[in-house]
Amino acid sequence: MPYSRSLLGCLADFARNRPESTALVMGGDRVSYAELCAMTMSAYNGLTALQLPSDARVALHAAKTPRTVALIVACLLARRPFMLPSTELGATALEELLEKADCTDVLTTEPGAGVGGLRVHKIDTTAVPPDGDLAGLDGITGPDVSPDATSFIFTTSGSTGLPKVVPLSFMAVERFTEWAVTKFRLRPGTVVLNYAPFNFDLCLLDLRATFKAGGTTVLVEPERATNGKHLAELIRTESVEVVQSVPMLYRLLADAYDGEPFETVTHVIVTGDKMPAKLLPELPRLFPNARFYNIYGATETNDSFIHEITGDLTAAGPLPIGRPLPGVAALVIDADGEVVDGPATGELLVSTPFQTAGYAVGGGADKFVERADGRVYFRSGDLVHRDADGVFTLVGRNDSQVKVRGVRVNLDEIEQVLLGHERIAGAAVVAVPDDVAGLVIHAVVRRDTTEPLGVLALRQFCRERLARAALPTTIRVVDDPLPTTSTGKTDRKAVIRDLLNGS
Amino acid sequence: MSSADRIKQYVLDEFLPGVAPEELEADYDLRANGVIDSLGLLRVVTWLEATFEIPMEEVEIVEQDFTSLTSITRFVELHSAAGQSDVDYLGKAA
Repeated sequence: MPYSRSLLGCLADFARNRPESTALVMGGDRVSYAELCAMTMSAYNGLTALQLPSDARVALHAAKTPRTVALIVACLLARRPFMLPSTELGATALEELLEKADCTDVLTTEPGAGVGGLRVHKIDTTAVPPDGDLAGLDGITGPDVSPDATSFIFTTSGSTGLPKVVPLSFMAVERFTEWAVTKFRLRPGTVVLNYAPFNFDLCLLDLRATFKAGGTTVLVEPERATNGKHLAELIRTESVEVVQSVPMLYRLLADAYDGEPFETVTHVIVTGDKMPAKLLPELPRLFPNARFYNIYGATETNDSFIHEITGDLTAAGPLPIGRPLPGVAALVIDADGEVVDGPATGELLVSTPFQTAGYAVGGGADKFVERADGRVYFRSGDLVHRDADGVFTLVGRNDSQVKVRGVRVNLDEIEQVLLGHERIAGAAVVAVPDDVAGLVIHAVVRRDTTEPLGVLALRQFCRERLARAALPTTIRVVDDPLPTTSTGKTDRKAVIRDLLNGS
Repeated sequence: MSSADRIKQYVLDEFLPGVAPEELEADYDLRANGVIDSLGLLRVVTWLEATFEIPMEEVEIVEQDFTSLTSITRFVELHSAAGQSDVDYLGKAA
């Protein structure tokens, strides 16, 4: 069965039956299903004309535009595995990642995008007239590949230039979008907001599932993504019905709230980060007609747990992540590595119908373990508590990973990058709570010299080696040794105390 | 103080505590180097609006206008109600 044909089939059907219906909205532009199909055909032709070797993987410059959407769909049709690296990676880091992931060619629909020494191909999305004959669509079937073949390749956000490379099969994506369409009642005309950048797997719901249902995706322009007033206006004027986002969007909307609630929104999904307790009670005021969900997942497994938020939203304690999605298996492992039943706290191992078959490039194989039940589980690194009713709650991490606005960042990795600077003798990187951003990263470094060590030059050093989200908000240079714990490790708690006390 | 100096002082106070004014070059890339992230940008815009009376509702916010002190200063000179003149502002707190 040609799996991505179902997506094209949907697009083609909508283009024929409801050609004027809107597939995408961005800024003032509206792209109909007929136009999106024409753009996709044009991109498909451009891609085919490149005559790349059949096993070549490409990287897409994931600028958030309808043109990029057409290019993504074209890659799916052509069965061309494509990676979506973060647009925020520094040039050095990006080049290193592409080399590591064996991506020889970069495709872009935008003028002027270039990546180091790699071949960059500009793909035209305007060569096929949108009002023309769409019969050509039926001719596009792409090579027949196994449902287990790779379609999307995401990267875990990561801190350094070498995030994990996560390929998802056609089948895994298909199963996930089926679930999302049913769960959130996506139908022809349903309006879904896309807040996340295209390199986030959240887009599988925002775009892929929405297209499958014949809905409309409203793209938030990255430059205006922190402008609460603009976001509120967008939700209102486009009559958005489904919103999925990290908590920050809801914080921005709550801060910009002018007393007029978002009546059209029926499903509000919080994901990617802990929901601040203070923000939660504000949701019903903003979205009086919505159901609220807390969703937990990782790029490796996609969405794994769901908790519908009901009842008293001011209740104390963290928001549960709820129960496993249909078809998802979850295990709690104690400190000895044994599976524990019933109420327990331990590391979460999770196996989903949507998960990757493993990282594409070396390393990290120990994150995937086959258990006695024959399923492969992903070691999440998240510590969870399961109560007597089988409801899960996140309690922490078993490493130094934190989330900054939904992006996974590892404090140890940032410290290692700083320590790689020849004049830095010690580094402590900490995450400090922030009302809007959730967490912000601060770095304190000890210089190995009496000569001045400029913060600005240090930032440049970091920028070449770290993802944008991992760049510390502040870097402080000190001469005294950093505080350590009794075991000789950097005492991050003490560093945070010093920072908060302004000493 | 000129617009350029006030903007520089604001960026130093707000985003680069401890950095000396002479260290920060006018063309240092504040965005790529992570000094001003997207939330920081929002703070900058709010400050510019209040300080230089820029009607932000009517002005298109483009990231490239905020990459360096030079570009922010140019933005202010272009859009500020009083920015076209060389006269310094009086009686407004920085």
